[in-house]
Amino acid sequence: MIEQAPALILLFPFFASIIVALAGIRVPGVSFPLTVISMFASVLSSVAVLVRVMNDGVIRYKLGGWEPPMGIEFRIDALGALVATAVSAVGLLAAIYSKRQVPAETGDRVSQYYTLYLLLMTGLLGMVITGDAFNLFVLIEVSALTSYALIAMGPRRASLAAYKYVIMGTIGASFYLLGVGYLYIKTGSLNMVDIHEQLIARGIFDSTAILVAFILITVGVWIKMAFFPLHAWLPNSYAYAPTTSSAVLGPLVTKVMIYVMIRLTFTVFGADYTFGQLEWSEVVVWMSVAAILVGSISALAQTDLRKMLAYLIIAEVGYMVGGVWLADDIGLIGSIYHIIADAFMTLCVFLFAGIIFAKTGKRDLNALDGLFTKMPLTMVGFLVGAFSLIGIPPTAGFFSKWYLIQGGIASGNWEYVIALLVSSLINAVLFFRIIEIAYFGAKPAEGHGDHHHAESHDSKISEAPLSMLFPLLATAALLLAIGLYNKDIVAIIAEFVSLSNLGAILP
Amino acid sequence: MKSLALISVVITGWLLLSAVGDFPDWGDPDSPANSYRLSQHFVTETFHETAVPNMVTAVLADYRGYDTMFETVVIFTAGIAIISILRVFRTEDPGAGGPKVYEKRPDLIVDTTCRLMIPIIQLFALYVIAHGHHSPGGGFQGGVIFGASFILIALSRDMQAAHKWVPERRVLNLAGIGILIYAGFGLASMFLGYNFLDYAILHKIIPATPIEARYHSMLGVEIGVAFTVTAIMYSIYSNLASKGTMKEGL
Repeated sequence: MIEQAPALILLFPFFASIIVALAGIRVPGVSFPLTVISMFASVLSSVAVLVRVMNDGVIRYKLGGWEPPMGIEFRIDALGALVATAVSAVGLLAAIYSKRQVPAETGDRVSQYYTLYLLLMTGLLGMVITGDAFNLFVLIEVSALTSYALIAMGPRRASLAAYKYVIMGTIGASFYLLGVGYLYIKTGSLNMVDIHEQLIARGIFDSTAILVAFILITVGVWIKMAFFPLHAWLPNSYAYAPTTSSAVLGPLVTKVMIYVMIRLTFTVFGADYTFGQLEWSEVVVWMSVAAILVGSISALAQTDLRKMLAYLIIAEVGYMVGGVWLADDIGLIGSIYHIIADAFMTLCVFLFAGIIFAKTGKRDLNALDGLFTKMPLTMVGFLVGAFSLIGIPPTAGFFSKWYLIQGGIASGNWEYVIALLVSSLINAVLFFRIIEIAYFGAKPAEGHGDHHHAESHDSKISEAPLSMLFPLLATAALLLAIGLYNKDIVAIIAEFVSLSNLGAILP
Repeated sequence: MKSLALISVVITGWLLLSAVGDFPDWGDPDSPANSYRLSQHFVTETFHETAVPNMVTAVLADYRGYDTMFETVVIFTAGIAIISILRVFRTEDPGAGGPKVYEKRPDLIVDTTCRLMIPIIQLFALYVIAHGHHSPGGGFQGGVIFGASFILIALSRDMQAAHKWVPERRVLNLAGIGILIYAGFGLASMFLGYNFLDYAILHKIIPATPIEARYHSMLGVEIGVAFTVTAIMYSIYSNLASKGTMKEGL
């Protein structure tokens, strides 16, 4: 059984999705328990794989028993196993949250919703563990199609947002596919490691086709992760989707695409090519500075809670892309650590936004009026997520920023360091504004001094039900745990970074 | 905004063209794609390893069967996505906002022609599915042809006539069962102790040598693909054509 654990990571949600599709039409009630059980099994498999990778090194799993590059293989190293664990854990927590909200927000389409949800998880987990460049494309398609539908199942405005996402996402995927095609023309292989070996063996790093392939793949992946200025599809998609959809897409889709970028940069093209031969690090770091500032400042202008969080994702993407392109091993550690930390902190705040929407039916920040007394536990969970996004120790967000800033200083990219600090300050302003509204009450409207009387009809609002509270508090606890055990996580990441050959190309 | 779009299109086009000069010549036998051990292996070994003469099918359904499974999932997802977005389950207010229900006017010529053609189309679809091992064809192509035959029923008569053969629930079942067949072959190989989708081990449960087991399993997964593609083809048509009411379409 343990031999099959790499495949089981995604086979559990995959088979569950088929069963939900078949049985859910007749008995919609089976959808939710099946989803949770299969995601839990997936988490267990990922943890088993992570433990095995740490003990025995890279796991290769030959699908169909064919030797790569003839067949497709899963190739799971420390990085892949770590990200797979985080992805499946986020999938599990968001699934638990969905219990009440999916029937409430999607009506008669519960079984379809969970089918798509499980297929999304299958696609994302498959992207993380695959070792084949074309297979990656197929799984990008699976996860993209499901996310379009998961967004479009929201209220009316969600359809338009999803339509924009369809167009942008398709362009991104096409770019990626073209890039893989160019790589195949020049190397004759599709296996990631094999492509890299062929690039070296044929000595074609100077070739224009490889350069174009690199540009196409990178830009394609950037579109998919909403890297500034290719981010226009993201805010509305995540703001108007059903709350469960934004709770799972917000943390995962962008983060997995950043993982894909790291994978392609280091495994397929290699650090020597990306950072040594091409001298674009400066430009990309400046782009990420723009992403961080634009994302943060736009977030400041929002009154809709989930839209504000969506803009924060754009800033966070800037952190991670910048961290990778600092071409510094501490920066890379920071970036990867931030993938894990950001997955959980985004989940935390989106779960919070979902709970607020479920309880008050409102989307804007004033819905939070006086909630500290009404839902203290929810607010505690939120506080941890907010502190993590600001970067207050000992939450996970502090340590990832710490590494990113150190990387920025070590590589001399001061503009990046300043952008990170400014963005942290803006996050502090954003979240303390929320805390203020929730603790002291909303600012009274002009001319009405006695606002607290007007809110009496809201007094029915009470603590969130356990199915929503548990995932929120579990995420908050995980954020603290990721922060406190940062040494162990960094040890796992360092395993990958030490093989990335970054140290050798630094001046 | 338009000029921005034009600029990005021009840049992309220039980028794509600039790489063309760097490509190997047309039909160059020494090009990487032709000379690398990957394609060499497929050309020389496929028949010995899988007993399938059509190497495209072997690459598709066996060497890269995992990709093909997820391509089938992509089609399945598209179908489910369209149902979840378009399908109107509540039917309290018929007519409101829905398309106009046309009076049924059976046309003798159209009806008779389609009546004659549909069995032939379906038979041909089965042939394409089953003969994918030897000639161009397979589950995707055959499934599309089969699905088209149901669409033809709906077009030539009306949607209710087609629903007699493929009611909605049956469509969804077929689509799910198709993927279940494909993944089931993978799961069976796993239970027998090999890796996922390693069909060779199935010789333990079907009377065949390991190589023949690959041959037969490929037919099996092609049938699974055909189920899903047939069902989803028709499902997408009926949802789009009836604006999700599944009552009356084009």
